[in-house]
Amino acid sequence: MAEKILMVDNISKRFGGLQATDKVSFDVRAGEILGIIGPNGAGKSTLFNLITGFYPIDEGTITYHGERIDGLTPDQICHKGITRTFQVAKPFPGLTIADNILVACLPKADKVSDARAKVDEILKIVSLDKKAGSLGADLTTLERKRLELGKALATNPEILLLDEVMTGLKPKEMDDMMELIKELKKTKTIVIVEHVMRVIMNISDRIIVLDHGQKIAEGLPREIAENPLVIEAYLGRGAKHA
Amino acid sequence: MEMLLQIIASGLLLGGIYALLSVGLNLIFGVIKIVNLAHGDFLMMGMYATFFLFTLKDINPYVSVLIIFPAFVLVGVLIFRFIIKPLLGKAETEVNTIIATAGLGFVLQNLALMLWKSDFRAIETNLTGKSYEFAGIMLSAGRTWAFVICIAIALILYYILMKTKVGTHIRAVSQDTDAATLMGINVNRIYTLTFAAGIALVGAAGAIITPTFYVYPTVGLYFNTMAFIIVVLGGLGSFTGALIGGLLIGLVESFAGVMASSELAQVFSLLIFLFILFVKPEGIMGKGARV
Amino acid sequence: MKQNKSLLILAILTVALLAVYFLPLVIFAKHILILTLFYAFLGTGWNLMCGYAGRLSLGHAAFAAVGAYTSIFLFKEFNLTPWLGMFVGGGLAVLVMLLIAYPSFRFGLKGPYFTLASIAVAEIVHNLLIYGRDFTGGSLGLSLPYVPTSLAMFQFDGKELYYLVILAFWLLAVFLTIKMERTRYYLEAIREDEDAAAALGISVNKNLIAAACISAFLVAVGGTFYGQYFRYIDPYSIAGFSLSLNMALVVVIGGSGTIFGPTIGAFVLIPLTEILRMSLGSQYPGLHLFLYGILLVVCIIYLPKGIASLPGIIRARNDKKARQLDQGSEGVL
Repeated sequence: MAEKILMVDNISKRFGGLQATDKVSFDVRAGEILGIIGPNGAGKSTLFNLITGFYPIDEGTITYHGERIDGLTPDQICHKGITRTFQVAKPFPGLTIADNILVACLPKADKVSDARAKVDEILKIVSLDKKAGSLGADLTTLERKRLELGKALATNPEILLLDEVMTGLKPKEMDDMMELIKELKKTKTIVIVEHVMRVIMNISDRIIVLDHGQKIAEGLPREIAENPLVIEAYLGRGAKHA
Repeated sequence: MEMLLQIIASGLLLGGIYALLSVGLNLIFGVIKIVNLAHGDFLMMGMYATFFLFTLKDINPYVSVLIIFPAFVLVGVLIFRFIIKPLLGKAETEVNTIIATAGLGFVLQNLALMLWKSDFRAIETNLTGKSYEFAGIMLSAGRTWAFVICIAIALILYYILMKTKVGTHIRAVSQDTDAATLMGINVNRIYTLTFAAGIALVGAAGAIITPTFYVYPTVGLYFNTMAFIIVVLGGLGSFTGALIGGLLIGLVESFAGVMASSELAQVFSLLIFLFILFVKPEGIMGKGARV
Repeated sequence: MKQNKSLLILAILTVALLAVYFLPLVIFAKHILILTLFYAFLGTGWNLMCGYAGRLSLGHAAFAAVGAYTSIFLFKEFNLTPWLGMFVGGGLAVLVMLLIAYPSFRFGLKGPYFTLASIAVAEIVHNLLIYGRDFTGGSLGLSLPYVPTSLAMFQFDGKELYYLVILAFWLLAVFLTIKMERTRYYLEAIREDEDAAAALGISVNKNLIAAACISAFLVAVGGTFYGQYFRYIDPYSIAGFSLSLNMALVVVIGGSGTIFGPTIGAFVLIPLTEILRMSLGSQYPGLHLFLYGILLVVCIIYLPKGIASLPGIIRARNDKKARQLDQGSEGVL
């Protein structure tokens, strides 16, 4: 089994009366794609916010390569090698696409010219090379998602946390994005939060399932698809609403 | 003890006036989300209008509200249409509306300077110098009437905002422009109305305070700072908050004015202001989030 | 803009402004040039925090006041040369800035709230200067004890040397801005989206505070220059709202968040104000500022990104025209 590089141990987070994350533990292994699924409000995005330091955790520990990273700020965690994307893509609207990528390259570059030299390569990876001069504000949904991914890649992370990169994409665009992620897997470890089942089942090596802030299942995609608890979490809720 | 009550009473009177000064600002800030730095200068214009209506036409300052309010509504509509509206909805909106209204303030102050020179002017009405005695406390007649009218205007405004259809529309727009548009509310119309009402309210406030304050071209600068402090203290879009904020600052000024110098009184108000900004930017009564 | 291109422009501008020094100008023209460079310098300092990082301060006069009062006070009381007093003033201004910047950024004060806080800080400084009469001369202000032209004491008869000094200050400030290329990118990213910037490994608070401190320091140095040049300061002129506003105006009109925007803005606005003041000020007091205000409003409405954005706008318009022509010809075919 591959090395466990990120270990999340028993973390909890409460917002007022809402237990957003409840004693969740899992680990991430080098080179895998770990899928995180769960119904709306299950606490998937919160989990990313906790790992990357956007929210402080109430309890538990997060260890990366044997070193505690809980309590660090988002920028420090990024420097360690973990970068996340945002569910709602956050381009820098007033900067050009090339400058968006440049800004992302800078924190880990010794010189501005070194960062500048990397921009074209990244633009090609995410197929935005023809848009280099446009403003961040002037992109389509797909392009925004690609830029979001490009910025995260520009920080050259070891672990890439992808938050719903498929939302808002057409089926054909999803296939392209899936190919891109599989390509990235050759060099990165990826944790992906996703709503679209077809995608998550297809690309994940392992999957964990969250519901009401708790981890209710973990396993291979095939096992997850057959897990009665998971089916209940999705369908049971759906039935109640219907 | 009597001294204490006296300080509290004058502080409250002053506070009521401050509250009225800031109501128009609060409305514009709360609904259109822009900072109108020329706010105090519209107050100044209202004061000059009152001054001249009184000295030339012998119109009582409180009666002149009836002339000034509609006139300022018109001014407000024009300014919104030609200066504010072109700036809205862009990335630079926040900065540029601040700069544009500052420029507008320049224009108004210097217009006043050109037309009426930098002299301090005051009017003498039949209330000047008079006070009412109430349980041993002396209340300036001018400020008492100003206070009463301020409270009345605040109540009317509160009623309009909470109980009428247009008030509901204004509140809807202030909370979520997009949702309001979807509900069929004409946001542009509400903005125009709000801006005009804000300007007219401060013009009316100018009329009401003229009997007890000097008029000069830069009088607005002093009141501007005050009005902003009160709006932030009370919370954006909260009228009860504005009232409480006004009364609080009035009291602080009144006390600090007696204990120390007027400069320290200002410093003290400003420190409270900063403190609130840092720890509770939504104001004492506000419930909105940070912008 | 690429660094080398910016440095080239800066070199050309500096040579041109040095050449102006040798022209036989009337005193009034020299005065205008000095004031223009003074505002270009202040604006460049203001721009670092307020333009690039998008935190609009309308209270920067507070830092100019701290700089000017400190250096003049130290000169009067301890005969310390303003060349050193300037650094003490700059240091104090940085302290004042930290006092406001740290909690502001810590508590995420943004937009109009930050602007209001900055105004409040300047008002506090203004009031304290009046209150501290024993040290500051209250609202009457301080005058600089006269010494004959002395490079060591930063006092010169005539305007020429002041011109060279402010030219050097401006040069250094713009050079510094150009050299802070990395920080400028970080600040722009922070201005556009703080969370996204942090997620990419940019330390938001560190960069904001660094920019704020450099900004305050430069403006404080500008304050010392003001004191030495006019030989008199009072709370109204050096800590008043109009100085804060003027700093912001040259930048916004010139193009905020650009290297040369503040300089462009100063070279457009300051000569204009001074000439208007000269020709109209005595006959019709207020008229020049009245016109100035109208001009500002018109500028903001028609050029919301400042004069520096003009080339881009013209280019975009030409592109559009070209595209329309293309489409037109396609239509015919």
